[in-house]
Amino acid sequence: MVATIKEIKIPKKPIPIIGSLETMYNVGRFMFKKPITTQYPEEKGEIPERFRFRIFLSPESCIGCTLCEQICPNHSIKMEVWEVEKEQGLVVETKRGARENLQNKRHIYPDVNFGTCTVCRNCEEICPTNAIYLTHQFEDARTRNSFTYSPQELARQEDDVIK
Amino acid sequence: MPHYTELNIGPVHPSIHGIFNFKLILNEEIIQDVKVTLGFLHRNAEKLSELNLYADNIIFFDRMNYIDAMNMELCYLMSVEKITGIEPPERAQWIRMIMVELNRLAARLVGMGSLGLDLGMLTPFFHAFKEREKIQRIFTEASGGRQEVNYFSIGGVYQDFTEKIINDIRNFIDQFKKNLEDMYNMFIHSEIFWQRNQGIGIIEPELAFDYGVTGPAIRASGIPYDVRKDAPYLFYDKVNFDIPISHQKDNFGRFMIKVEEMRQSIRIIEQSLDKINDGPFFNPQGKKSLMLRIKGNGEAFSRVESDAGEFGVYVKGDNTTKPYRVHARSPGLRNLSLLPVISKGLMIADFIAVVGGLDPVVGEVDR
Amino acid sequence: MNLLFKLHQWFSFLGNYASYGIAYLIETIVVLAFVAISFIILIYVFRKYMARIQLRIGPNRVGKFGLLQLIADALKLMGKESILPKGRDDMAYKIAPIITMMSIMVSFIIIPYGGLYYFGNLTTTHSDITLILIFGILSIMPIGEVLGGISTRSNYAILGTLRGIAKDVSFEVPMLISVLAIVMVSSRSFVTGGSTYNSLSLAGIVTNEIIPYGIIEPLGLIVFFISMIARASYSPFDLSESDSELISGSTTEYGGMRFGLFYIGLFGMVYLGSFLVSLLYLGGYNGPVSSYFGFIFLLIKVIILVLIAFLIWLSLPRMRIDRFVQFGWKYLLPLAVINLIYAGFFVLYIR
Ligand code: SF4
Ligand code: SF4
Repeated sequence: MVATIKEIKIPKKPIPIIGSLETMYNVGRFMFKKPITTQYPEEKGEIPERFRFRIFLSPESCIGCTLCEQICPNHSIKMEVWEVEKEQGLVVETKRGARENLQNKRHIYPDVNFGTCTVCRNCEEICPTNAIYLTHQFEDARTRNSFTYSPQELARQEDDVIK
Repeated sequence: MPHYTELNIGPVHPSIHGIFNFKLILNEEIIQDVKVTLGFLHRNAEKLSELNLYADNIIFFDRMNYIDAMNMELCYLMSVEKITGIEPPERAQWIRMIMVELNRLAARLVGMGSLGLDLGMLTPFFHAFKEREKIQRIFTEASGGRQEVNYFSIGGVYQDFTEKIINDIRNFIDQFKKNLEDMYNMFIHSEIFWQRNQGIGIIEPELAFDYGVTGPAIRASGIPYDVRKDAPYLFYDKVNFDIPISHQKDNFGRFMIKVEEMRQSIRIIEQSLDKINDGPFFNPQGKKSLMLRIKGNGEAFSRVESDAGEFGVYVKGDNTTKPYRVHARSPGLRNLSLLPVISKGLMIADFIAVVGGLDPVVGEVDR
Repeated sequence: MNLLFKLHQWFSFLGNYASYGIAYLIETIVVLAFVAISFIILIYVFRKYMARIQLRIGPNRVGKFGLLQLIADALKLMGKESILPKGRDDMAYKIAPIITMMSIMVSFIIIPYGGLYYFGNLTTTHSDITLILIFGILSIMPIGEVLGGISTRSNYAILGTLRGIAKDVSFEVPMLISVLAIVMVSSRSFVTGGSTYNSLSLAGIVTNEIIPYGIIEPLGLIVFFISMIARASYSPFDLSESDSELISGSTTEYGGMRFGLFYIGLFGMVYLGSFLVSLLYLGGYNGPVSSYFGFIFLLIKVIILVLIAFLIWLSLPRMRIDRFVQFGWKYLLPLAVINLIYAGFFVLYIR
């Protein structure tokens, strides 16, 4: 079972004018086919299950191991200090109740620059606690200087992130 | 005393596939000389690969020939798997083979559509891209990425094929056979298409050897050189397919070869879908949570038959987690360097058709 | 009864000359308004048609079904900064689009439109030599392109212009010879066998055209139709534009509404070409039933021809310039001459 070499047949040369008419028929018969366009903002096509884009972070399970920072091929992830428990209005739910995240002693969390992220999904794969994960959400256009998402913003929904 | 005109084609021009610059020295409309300037899209991919982990470099290869991303990934991974000693299991090989052939179809469709656009046919382009979009839908189902897929991983693939994906591919193949012939008919019945392509950009076999031309260009010169046959990788020795050759030597021959290869790709995919077996889809040694620790030692070179020709990757490891040297052999560069030779005496319109027929992808030429 | 005399009667209280003047003016304005509206519809139809063949939807955002898209585009073009190339020949650069546009517009006033129920005959120009007039005006149109191309001193534009000139030279001779054959055939009446008057006016030709001349001399129809494609310069013969080789050919350096005028000129020529083909070869406003609705018959023929022209535009690749020149001199010209000889024999014996 190996590949065989085959000389291709060159088709007959078309007759002038007749050939053009045939081409016109071949092109023109698509006139009555249904268009394939998706009218984007109104109708959103079904998104495949494995499609990934916007990165989220669940601060309660991040242990600050910096693995995601090391694996990111574009160095889009930087670790940033975030004193969760000192922030007002944002309570971290852990198994032991609303309190400081004991696992993350250094209080460092990833901060993602979407301007350079290539959505390679490596950070999601390597994270030992599934704290960082990618979702189907993809409508997050930003202006030039506001691609960087701090850990606080990564934990929120897109609409709550004020840029 | 002839009077010469200089005409710049590119870096930004409606029919340049990417960004490079040709300076045409013209005598009226006849080309006397071509000066090719490359490097507008140089992104340091080889050096960047030396600074990153083995597992991370896949994304740089995705972006080399961005319309044929799977082949690029495959070639890099074949080299890496040789020096790290992580062999992919059988199912992963079959999955890779299906994906690579699907991507070859997608890349050929881009080439076919844009050749039509270069010649002034407005319609086939959209039909080609309609089909390509279906292929990319399958890629998204499988990997989550549409064009830059990042699907293969060291020692296997990133995610397994589900029943749905296999069905999708079968459905796609079933309707694609007809659509391919429809598209082909849009080109081949028009006598102006023949006029514009026959006898244009003739590559003699000796010239092709001198310049290291590969891919459809060399097969159109009558030399049956195809890496899939001459140095089978994956399971190309377990499926039946034809290597089309032609003695036309010109742009028309290249077009015919490309169309015929699409038909052969369909055959390969159909056979692979029948032969794909159950089993693990990655080697546990290369699983994703070990990405930071994969070490390579020694050197390896591997090559695949990509969209434009023979694509090769050389990787040398020094027993650390990062490669010591990575080099890519790009077929597009060889094909482009032939341009000044074959385009002497052509007209501007022919020149555009020849560039369209060689379909260089600048991401891979400049790296 | 034709529209001009009706208008003349309404204004007869102004005296003979003044009322004729006003009647001409009003009729010209009506014709130009009709032409302008049909350009808008034409471009809309072209974009929808192209979209449907390419499996797209086409304009559908501005207005119902995107009907106002073209007006939005025109506003956009007018609002654009007009970038003037350095080192241009100012006068020629600015006058070129106007020449192209004007020659198209004037040709539309010359065309006989046939009768429409109440209004009578819609023809504006009542002259015995409209055939000569219209081809004279059509040959002004390339001057606009040439001026536009050469005045900008851009290499792309100059190459495009040279191609355009080579193209014009090689198809205009066969075109005029095939028109000559029409004049010959129509100079003898089918009914009486005697010689006819007015065979140099479009209206006269259509009156004599009891059997469409396209049936009598199909060769002439082919030659003339191909020439009309070449004159309008769309896809197989868009040599002066060649968008994939010379960016935009002779109009490369134009922007804003000046480019818009060239663009409208292109569509205008497709439309005008269809009018001419249907008048000279397909029986014009003669229809199978009464000539009350001659204008409607003419429009139906024109619409069918325009759709065929668009289909050719969308499906065929561009010819190379040397091939086209060869095609013009080696095939079109002999065909036209054969057609002329055949027309002579036809007039002498066969009738
Ligand atoms: S998905 Fe983005 S942030 Fe995560 S590793 Fe890849 S590039 Fe970095
Ligand atoms: S997100 Fe995951 S990988 Fe990154 S620091 Fe937190 S636990 Fe570690």
